[in-house]
Amino acid sequence: MITLRGLTKRFGPTTAVDDLTVDIAPGRVTGFLGPNGAGKSTTMRMVLGLDRPTAGRALVDGRPYRELRHPLHTVGALLDAGAIHPARSGRAHLLATARSNGIGRRRVDEVLALVGLDDRAAAKPGRTLSLGMGQRLGIAGALLGDPPVLLFDEPVNGLDPDGVRWIRQLTRSLAAQGRTVLVSSHLMSEMQQTADHLVVIGRGRLIADAPTSEVIAGGSAAASVRVRGPQPAGLATLARRLAGDGAVVEADGPHGLIVTGLTADRVGDLAYELGVALHELTPVAASLEQAFMALTDGSVEYAAAPAAPAGSPATHHRIEAR
Amino acid sequence: MNARTATRTAPTAGPLAGAVAAEWTKLWSVRSTWWTLLSAVLLSAAAAGQLAIYAANANTNDDPADDRGMVTLGSVVIDSLELTQYAVLAIGLLAVTAEFGADTLRTTLRCTPSRGRVLLAKAAVSGAVTFGAGLLLGGVGALVAGAVLGEWGDAPVGGTIRDVLASATYLALVGVLALGLGTVLRSAVLTVIVLLAVLMIVPLSLQEPGIAVLTRIADAFPGVAGGHFLAGDADPYPPVVGLLLLAGWAAAALVAGRAALRHRDA
Repeated sequence: MITLRGLTKRFGPTTAVDDLTVDIAPGRVTGFLGPNGAGKSTTMRMVLGLDRPTAGRALVDGRPYRELRHPLHTVGALLDAGAIHPARSGRAHLLATARSNGIGRRRVDEVLALVGLDDRAAAKPGRTLSLGMGQRLGIAGALLGDPPVLLFDEPVNGLDPDGVRWIRQLTRSLAAQGRTVLVSSHLMSEMQQTADHLVVIGRGRLIADAPTSEVIAGGSAAASVRVRGPQPAGLATLARRLAGDGAVVEADGPHGLIVTGLTADRVGDLAYELGVALHELTPVAASLEQAFMALTDGSVEYAAAPAAPAGSPATHHRIEAR
Repeated sequence: MNARTATRTAPTAGPLAGAVAAEWTKLWSVRSTWWTLLSAVLLSAAAAGQLAIYAANANTNDDPADDRGMVTLGSVVIDSLELTQYAVLAIGLLAVTAEFGADTLRTTLRCTPSRGRVLLAKAAVSGAVTFGAGLLLGGVGALVAGAVLGEWGDAPVGGTIRDVLASATYLALVGVLALGLGTVLRSAVLTVIVLLAVLMIVPLSLQEPGIAVLTRIADAFPGVAGGHFLAGDADPYPPVVGLLLLAGWAAAALVAGRAALRHRDA
């Protein structure tokens, strides 16, 4: 359990973290989401006793980090991946880390195997490590003390798709073992697939603290259904019928429809009634990306120029009921 | 995939022992430590050899039997420290500035959140290694000096051992001073400049005019105090006072380093 109470950090006139009060519960993956510069890393550094809060408290299992005697047995963290002496091998780096907390050499070998670094990779000096290997080494370091609380700052940075999938499985399995797992990211799509719960911040302020599904549902009107079929005429008939049932229907090219306001079951039943052949009927969850944009609107430090709204490219036009 | 392959057991060793073990592992797992020691050995052999040649050449008496044993090996070792100390204090210096450079200090502080404990562990390891290196350098320096001086040299066993022990102690304390300063200043280059100033340039400038008050002030500087301790002279204070002054500087540097670590964000 990580407890933040009125956590605040100012750097001169800039407020990086602004009165953050949140509990990160065990047993689930909590996504820590926010645009770059939102204060995610600063918050994590305060939890780890590296930065001093200007006000408020950050506690791990009820205690400030600086009071822990053997902290690696309580909290593991991936913070500065690749922060390793350029001439020191990954194994020696882990070994020094382990020894500081009375952890044996055998555990070093275990975590190296766990993150998929073989003997040759572990013997390489720090300066030759790739970003992905640095991430794996950092995760190995986080797991050394078998801690009940884990913090991962942008863990998928620099990883290939296999590595990304591996991180996803790892964080889920760690949470399933009852640990507290906090994963920060600015990649909303990644969080959507990994996190059970989301803590969203913007400009250092708490914007949302809710289950992922709720954040997604709250950010956009509703989930939609994607329909594909071989006959444009049949689809047009179906579209009119759906609109008559109260759905909002958009054409998605000549062979597709996007239906909002009805379930996929209902859309399928109506297509069957009308005898319209379908090749695809897919419920589409509203994307976290959209929800995130809606939530953090106005709290992005460097807002980009307004772009076309997501999900409505030129081929989309609304079909009205007749 | 199961991360929980190890049973969670509380470590038996205390956190300071762990921090010391970690520093020990870090020190010996980079090649620069070995290069530092090797260069210190070569430098010390060269310096002792050169000083011994000067001593032998300065004696114009053609018959060595007249001035037998006029230079002790220990004094050559001690004089060579003026140069070799800068190679050896790199061990204390790099123990912390390398961590700032590679951004690994955060990892160190996550492993050992007590800033004082981190510095104490670093001081213990670099102090012990520097002391050991000092013994080695002293031995090498005495051997070289003895070979070069030949009959001009004097090698009383007790005195030589005392001088080698004293120079090892001096180096260990200067190493800790470098560690503390490096923690405050963060940059290796800046720290070396400040060390040069504190050990040599400032006290030399103070002594230069020959004004009593300024010379007294210079006597309080770590290099001069260490010099009095090494020389074993009674003027202006007994050697033990020189030792205590030097130790005080090292301790003050550590305290300043601890304060810097505590108040700065890592």
